[in-house]
Amino acid sequence: MADTNDSNNSNNSPGNHSSGNGNAIEIRDLVVDYGPRRILNNLNLDIPAGKINVIMGRSGAGKSTLLRCILGLKKPTSGSIRMLGTELTTATPHEVNSLRKQMGVAFQGGALFSSMTVGENIQLALREHTNLDESTIRIMTRIKLDMVNMLPFENLMPSELSGGMTKRAALARATIMDPKLLFFDEPSSGLDPITAAELDELILLLKQGMNMTIVVVTHELESAFKIADKISIMHGGEFLVMGGPDDIRACQDPIVQSLLHRTPRESRVDTDAHLRALVNGEIEPGASGNIE
Amino acid sequence: MKCSLTAQEGFDLLKLSGEVDLNYSPRLREQILASLKEGHALLIDLADVSYIDSSGIASLVEGFQTAKTAKLAYGLLNVSVTAGQVLTLTRLDKIFALYDSAEQFRQQL
Amino acid sequence: MIKLLENLGSTVLGGIEQTGRTFNLLLIVLWEIVHSPYKFYPIVRQIYFIGARSMSLIIISGVTIGMVMGLQFYNILERFGSVNLLGAGVALGVIRELGPVITALMVVGRAGSSMCAELGIMRITEQVDALECMAISPVKFLVAPKVIAGLISVPLLTAVFNFVALFGGYFVGVVMFNVPEGSYMNGMIDAVEWDDVQLSLVKSLIFGVLVTLISCAKGFYMHLSKAGSQGAEGVSFVTTDAVVASSIAVLFSDFLIGALMQ
Repeated sequence: MADTNDSNNSNNSPGNHSSGNGNAIEIRDLVVDYGPRRILNNLNLDIPAGKINVIMGRSGAGKSTLLRCILGLKKPTSGSIRMLGTELTTATPHEVNSLRKQMGVAFQGGALFSSMTVGENIQLALREHTNLDESTIRIMTRIKLDMVNMLPFENLMPSELSGGMTKRAALARATIMDPKLLFFDEPSSGLDPITAAELDELILLLKQGMNMTIVVVTHELESAFKIADKISIMHGGEFLVMGGPDDIRACQDPIVQSLLHRTPRESRVDTDAHLRALVNGEIEPGASGNIE
Repeated sequence: MKCSLTAQEGFDLLKLSGEVDLNYSPRLREQILASLKEGHALLIDLADVSYIDSSGIASLVEGFQTAKTAKLAYGLLNVSVTAGQVLTLTRLDKIFALYDSAEQFRQQL
Repeated sequence: MIKLLENLGSTVLGGIEQTGRTFNLLLIVLWEIVHSPYKFYPIVRQIYFIGARSMSLIIISGVTIGMVMGLQFYNILERFGSVNLLGAGVALGVIRELGPVITALMVVGRAGSSMCAELGIMRITEQVDALECMAISPVKFLVAPKVIAGLISVPLLTAVFNFVALFGGYFVGVVMFNVPEGSYMNGMIDAVEWDDVQLSLVKSLIFGVLVTLISCAKGFYMHLSKAGSQGAEGVSFVTTDAVVASSIAVLFSDFLIGALMQ
């Protein structure tokens, strides 16, 4: 009888999600430069299988770039990303495609295909990659729609959906093939608190029901602490701290504390420099402000 | 996935084992529909199912609907913990008739 | 001064880069055509969009151009007392040149701009990324059907254009200016040879690919140009760019093809 956590199983078996040591994704010394600017600075991260991993940080910390590298949409300047046992940076297109069939992505804006209905959006992967019967495809689509409470909206076009509905449709689309890896880019952004909470519940259910490895990129504190098994906080292209929610809460790093308690950083008080900035537009290098 | 169909008293017992995923669910679907087409009530034993995905569930659902239309009894037996979680996630645990023993099913007929 | 040279240099380099990317896209499209099992429905949909829905535009412009040709040629030929050559003149002018070129330019304006805008918007709203992450090739799914549809539709549209233009010329010449019908028709039949029709066909095939390819490339690779970070305004930039670039490509290759097939 196959034991789902048996690390000797082949990586293609549906129950097994790890690369042998319990990690679905391993990132080592990841560097991304945009010309002279270093966006990601020697990142190291383990994403344990079957757990909800939250990557947090202020806007501009590099979260989106990191996500794009993991998804294979951006080639890093250097470093390694090992996903489900395959080295992404040196993988052949065929291997990358194979990996992609085992992952689902819910993009920040939903990224639903505007020329297809919600139902057609959700089933696209099934139509392209499987030979399943028409009736099976339809039932699977509706099961996913029901899961996100969107069953009556199968035939709407994406332009007719509200923000919350778009996110839910995107989630249904991301999970249609029951992927081992699920990625969320800012799932709660732009949602009212109730819908955001419902989405959080759904993410928890997905982990329990389908044993998915879930990676959530967000800056919403409440959601993060509610759902995460592991939280990694980024700042300036580096990881400040990683651990369970309790470890993070206990962390004394001032940047982490200001993030958690939503206190703005102290700004340097140099009156002359400030005056020059206001009147002449002269900004000192290293002045406080978002790192873009 | 392995499936074996045995004729019981008054119904067919379809025993599944292993992983029911995208590769195998078409076979499952065929088996279920073939059995129902013969006019037999159907009980599906999921005790040895280590993994079932949405395509497998969809086949079970389609079978259920077909059975209902043909007024045949249809049930799931020994739903494993894994399969049970998937049914809860897809909100189908309340839809299917679940049984703990074949005897229980036979009595319903 | 230096700034001017810098700008000129970067524009030229940018242009070369984009041309290279467009050619690269063509290679990828060809690869996808040969490689994967093909679905016909997306191609049929694009043929409907590029071809069928351009029909009324093509017919109107065809008749009009035919009439203009009739008018202008009559004017010229009358001075030399050779109005019996009107049929030949209109036919050859339309079939060899105006048919393929005007058809292509009409398609650029109608279908090319909207293809570019569609792909550009998909690019900036991460829909292209979503396709990639679903292990679906965006080129196969989005671009290839359009290019194939262009290859099929534009020659067909050109044929329709040519046909109705000849009627336009007939109307002006025979009906309005009383050129003898026999001399118009026979002039046409005698003058037009297979080489002329072949030229029309070759031009329209190449234009069909050029127009769709360039329009698609501008939208698809929007994120690699400056416009990629400009949102909606960026989409309008690349769309205008696509129309200009496709039009110039059509006109320039028109000359090249004509010269090579002389």
